[in-house]
Amino acid sequence: MNAIEIHDLYWKYDGSDKPIFDGLNLTIPAGIFCGIIGSNESGKTTLVECMKGLIPNSMTGVYRGEVKLFGQDVAGEDKNGLPQLAGMVFSDPDAQFTTMSVIEEIAFGLENMGFLEDEIGRRIEWVSQLCHLEGLLEKPPYDLSGGQKQRVAIASVLATKPRAIILDEPTSMLDPKSKDEVFDILRSIKEDLHMTVIVVEHNIEKIAELADEVVLMGGGRVLRHEKTPQFFQAIELLQANSIDVPETIRLEYFLYNKLGIDRIAPVHFDAAVDEIKSLLPRLTGKSVTEAIESMTAGRA
Amino acid sequence: MNSKNIVEIKHLNFSYPDGTVALNDTSLALEEGSITALIGQNGCGKSTLSKLMNGILKPTSGSIMVGDLDVSAGCSVKDLVLNIGYVFQNPDHQLFNASVYDEIAYAPRNVGLSEEEVDARVHEAADIAGVSESLFKESPMLVSRGIRQRIAIASILSLKPKLIIVDEPTTGQDRQQSLEIMEFLKNLNEKTGHTILIITHEMNIVAQFANRIIVMKKGSILMNGTPSEVFSQPERLMEGFVKPPLVTRLAQTIDPTGTHSGVINFDELIKAVA
Repeated sequence: MNAIEIHDLYWKYDGSDKPIFDGLNLTIPAGIFCGIIGSNESGKTTLVECMKGLIPNSMTGVYRGEVKLFGQDVAGEDKNGLPQLAGMVFSDPDAQFTTMSVIEEIAFGLENMGFLEDEIGRRIEWVSQLCHLEGLLEKPPYDLSGGQKQRVAIASVLATKPRAIILDEPTSMLDPKSKDEVFDILRSIKEDLHMTVIVVEHNIEKIAELADEVVLMGGGRVLRHEKTPQFFQAIELLQANSIDVPETIRLEYFLYNKLGIDRIAPVHFDAAVDEIKSLLPRLTGKSVTEAIESMTAGRA
Repeated sequence: MNSKNIVEIKHLNFSYPDGTVALNDTSLALEEGSITALIGQNGCGKSTLSKLMNGILKPTSGSIMVGDLDVSAGCSVKDLVLNIGYVFQNPDHQLFNASVYDEIAYAPRNVGLSEEEVDARVHEAADIAGVSESLFKESPMLVSRGIRQRIAIASILSLKPKLIIVDEPTTGQDRQQSLEIMEFLKNLNEKTGHTILIITHEMNIVAQFANRIIVMKKGSILMNGTPSEVFSQPERLMEGFVKPPLVTRLAQTIDPTGTHSGVINFDELIKAVA
């Protein structure tokens, strides 16, 4: 089963001279964590708006082709089921708050979907544990820190138990500690709930750690879409598209190149460190300690 | 004041009206012509400190000198803006004039400079900030975000302040845009000698562009040193919930002795292993 199937998509906003997409194709399997990266104005946000059906249902423009969310055409006649297929989280959580307390915020979607009070209570308890919101439920969302707000936004979406959660730069406005908290929750969603996670993100280090597949967007086209380790093989293409390739991966390929090794580099930090440690002595003929000492020699 | 310092802050304390202590006996100095990064998790006191330096808030006690200006004693808005410029995180929070020219001319006109002097300053500031004169009649709202940020900076430069505080200049920008903004600030610093204080969470940017890093924690200065000095102490940094850049953590992890940990960019790493 695929979470997303996009066939030959064309989309042009009303009043715009040229289309954002012209012949875009993309398939994302269900149950994976997919990172979507690319420079600003590469089409990432428009792409996830198409996945969620916000385009064409809530925006005006010229739309052709097909976008299927778990097999359902997002532009088809029946749109009632779309919210239960995918929930969306934006970069600015304030943009999606509508109530005066965290508990009301989480309950809002559930009440709209017609759940009974007992079930709403159970789901609030479940997501508040998952998103570490215990103790915050009675507070106004507007009084929370940026990281807490984003956790409330994620909890509100998770409470409706959609099959996929789509997040558009969920950490771009957060400080590093809050970013880590949000990524920890995304890790739990992936590992414990096995839900499809699609996230637009500039933090490439976290994408390398968490994603099963990565999509590179550029100029409204899919420039690369691979499983994560294979994806980062194309360092030059990524850098040409303003992608900050993690130094762990850059160093691995640098060493492979020097040593004439042809293989796909591990992308997780610990695995990459093990790989580098195994290669350094082969490169320098020195022990790891000596190799590193020579690296830092001469620095104050 | 030490002749090399443009800013000297001594025993600064500040509490908000609800009793929250935001700054606790903070002392620091900024050397003239330096680029300093102010880092630390949200709520550590960075914004409060910058608002105190900009005269928006008045300290509970302690002193802030910017050049010869005693900011903490209370001074006129004119004196403040002629000494300290503040570039907001979002340029849209400070742009409000109908044309780019009027935006850059707004502050010099407000402090009473002659129209001739205003015109000279607008051209000079636009030139330094990379704002084309062909945009002078355009609305600042109808140009790209990158240009809006340059207009915001030009409108600060037109007053020729001694210190420019830039709040999170790279938030929401992609890598290329972030590098362009930081290269611009670095060129500005080199060309004009402006002292620049950058408030940021981007450690790669800090490692690459700052001469000095000040790490804040709970209203106090936790660390103050060069990027290499600061990032080579990961445990102390973690007290302030700050992680060194990935390249530094990589060097620290593959170094089994734990004593050589001052690598702050990829070139250093590569030069060493090659």
